[in-house]
Amino acid sequence: MTESSEDLYPIAVLIDELKNDDIVIRLNSLRRLTIIAKALGPERTREELIPFLSESTEDEDEALTVLAEELGNFVPVVGGVKFAFHLLPPLESLATVEETVVREKAVESLCKIAEQMDGGALELHYIPLVTRLAKTEWFTARVSSCGLFAVAYEKSSDEVKQELRVGFNELCKDETPMVRRAAAQQLGKYAEKLEKERLMTEVMTIFAELCEDDQDSVRLLAVGTCSALAKLLGKEGSTSKILPAVQKFSSDKSWRVRYMVAQQVNELCDVIGKEITMAELVTVYVNLLKDNEAEVRVAAAQKAGDFCGFVGGALTLTEILPCLKELSNDTSQHVRAAIAIAVMVIAPIFDDGNEIETNLLPIILTLLRDEFPDVRLNIIRNLEQVSKIIGIQLLQKNLLPAIVALAEDRHWRVRLAIINYFPLLARQLGIFSFNDILGKLCIQWLEDSVATIRTAAAQNLKNLAEDFGSDWVQEFVLPKMLDKLQHPHFLLRMTIMEAVGAMATVVSSEILQTMLLPELMKFNKDKVPNVRFHACRLMKDVIPCVDPAIVSSTIKPWLADMQDDVDHDVRFFAREAEMTIRG
Amino acid sequence: MSSSSSDLDNWISKLKECKLLDETQVRTLCLRAIDILVEESNVQTIYPPVTICGDIHGQFFDVLELFKVGGECPQKNYLFMGDFVDRGFYSVETFLLLLALKVRYPDRIFLIRGNHESRQITQVYGFYDECLRKYGTLNVWRYCVEVFDYLSLAALVDGVVLGVHGGLSPSISTIDRVRSIDRKQEVPHEGPMCDLLWSDPEEMSGWGLSPRGAGYLFGGDICKHFNYINGLGFIARAHQLVMEGYKWMFDSQLVTVWSAPNYCYRCGNIASVLELDDQLKCDFKVFTAAPHELHHVEMRKITPSYFL
Repeated sequence: MTESSEDLYPIAVLIDELKNDDIVIRLNSLRRLTIIAKALGPERTREELIPFLSESTEDEDEALTVLAEELGNFVPVVGGVKFAFHLLPPLESLATVEETVVREKAVESLCKIAEQMDGGALELHYIPLVTRLAKTEWFTARVSSCGLFAVAYEKSSDEVKQELRVGFNELCKDETPMVRRAAAQQLGKYAEKLEKERLMTEVMTIFAELCEDDQDSVRLLAVGTCSALAKLLGKEGSTSKILPAVQKFSSDKSWRVRYMVAQQVNELCDVIGKEITMAELVTVYVNLLKDNEAEVRVAAAQKAGDFCGFVGGALTLTEILPCLKELSNDTSQHVRAAIAIAVMVIAPIFDDGNEIETNLLPIILTLLRDEFPDVRLNIIRNLEQVSKIIGIQLLQKNLLPAIVALAEDRHWRVRLAIINYFPLLARQLGIFSFNDILGKLCIQWLEDSVATIRTAAAQNLKNLAEDFGSDWVQEFVLPKMLDKLQHPHFLLRMTIMEAVGAMATVVSSEILQTMLLPELMKFNKDKVPNVRFHACRLMKDVIPCVDPAIVSSTIKPWLADMQDDVDHDVRFFAREAEMTIRG
Repeated sequence: MSSSSSDLDNWISKLKECKLLDETQVRTLCLRAIDILVEESNVQTIYPPVTICGDIHGQFFDVLELFKVGGECPQKNYLFMGDFVDRGFYSVETFLLLLALKVRYPDRIFLIRGNHESRQITQVYGFYDECLRKYGTLNVWRYCVEVFDYLSLAALVDGVVLGVHGGLSPSISTIDRVRSIDRKQEVPHEGPMCDLLWSDPEEMSGWGLSPRGAGYLFGGDICKHFNYINGLGFIARAHQLVMEGYKWMFDSQLVTVWSAPNYCYRCGNIASVLELDDQLKCDFKVFTAAPHELHHVEMRKITPSYFL
């Protein structure tokens, strides 16, 4: 056997496997098509592999998808762009099959190849393919063809351009809704390639027709192109052509169409400018907020931050805020959850604390008491935005009671959000007003039933210790904690230990060495191995903060002792901690 | 084997992000797991404190939720009573995460076999297809089902709490009888090993036919008698969906623990784990499904490893 045929052996196996009965094996082989083609060389690929593949379009959808995708990368292996047309026939037949996924991949690959071809080759091979598909009786081919126009337009001669435009126009009026849908979907991309002067005339005529379509699924996609078209048309064109369509769509009888309007409202604002938005779009937006369908209200509420930022505080106050207030009592929990975010993100628009107090605060307080945890959570997560503006007095009077109530919320994520908010709260309130109720909560969380909360509580004490200093730890925290270090329940011992370990890295070295370290070291006698090795893990972080003399006189022997523990994990973590001393 | 504990720590953090290990890593992990599991007894001895968990069925994000509520391993000790795979969307990630934890911390986490840890069942209920979809080959499935054969059949906490996936068997009257089973095989269609993984408790007396077609139904008298003879406080088992997450039966002689919240992403049930502290005091931690926004995991694309 010669060397080259030996080299080809794996390829022969792969080619064989392309015909295997087992789909998995066929798939594997198909994914390596480029390798097969490279081994065969450009000529045999064109003359043998491609014809073979063209006949394999009866396979299962999964295999066809892979085939369609692979062919898109085939230009180099057939011998470069001038032979790229060889790839069109198999992709053409893949673009006509029933399964959408396969067709979409085929269209994608066709576009990828067409991008590389020059005008002449396009006209000779690609344009006839597009025209053929667009005129095929069965609709799947026509659907595919919609995606093929844009890529060829720029490089074509005037005559062909004319032909392409006529073809696309016809697809937009196709009797099958599926085809009109595909055309509507491609309209943005197509319009981008067209000459500017044709935008206002031809494209807008198509757009107007699609907007009037009796199928809501077509209108829906027409709305979807609004923002893309608006960007192409610019301010003037959008105001005269797109705005009326949007206004009309915003009261469309299908909620899905109205939903799409809500989704695009901010992009449109950007194009048509502040003045026209304030005059025209605010009404549209308010109507969407008051929509009958909860989905539309949610979508509109989600856009509130940017929209209100765009129109400014005055209009927000008179036009939009009353709606939001009403929606804070909406029957749908999802609407209320969206409103909870909306009212928080629009807060910075008002630079005046009074306006927030009279207008926003009541809504916030209602939402903080909402029965649905996501609503409460959304408020707490964004509290920072509001508390920065309203000032300490208002915070204490109004928000604090509500926050304290939530500190014991049933849902642990709500409690977690409150804990994470605490360091900020502490900074604003200052040490004195903090100690009372809030300080008590900080200790109480260490006994929470959810592990994440207990860990967060320990971390929280560390953060507070950083702000309030060692004295605060010594006077306020430690007395409440140290007696619990020998609690009968191992979980509590472990959490308190965790808190001690966390604070150890931020308190003064005196407190660390006289109070915290001795407590931490008592855990080597704990009967639960988890407690013992957790002490070793914490010790690893503590060691860098301790005077090296003390490390070698007390911690080192302690760790050495732990390395003789009966438990494997205790020995492991003791060894790891000891490495930090050596290293 | 050449993988160290830092390799394992990397794998564990990768798996916790719901990312797959590659095929060779899975192979290494499974071989190391077998080395550990082969040394374990049919009835694995466990010391408290330990948190006992029921079925999880590939609901990966809910397992992360379980650890968030119950505490991370190794800070807490865990016993998972089988049915790690099938039905959920992330059986591979779920099982491999638990297995990696087992290999990294053999004394902190214990896995026993459920009826879904079987070649036959996984081919019907999803694990097989998932492996094929995510890896393009069946090797990972083969490595995993090989591990299944080595999993213990039961666990005994401090001599007084028996953990088992399904329940009792008419051919097993003492725990010692379980110890004498040759467990390293595919789950049989009948007999003691099958019953341990398939049986259900039922408010009745004596033994009954199981509607599942494998295992038996056993009544309160059977359970009490078994506990008395073997000096057990109670039996903890999984295997059946309970809407409240856990359910005591037979005057607290048996408890069903269920740890897959909103089972199959639509049952609306809550889940629980049973926390036994160092004094063997019971405390159930209930939890609900992980919030939806955590589920946005990118669809992975697996590149085939080339043949040459």
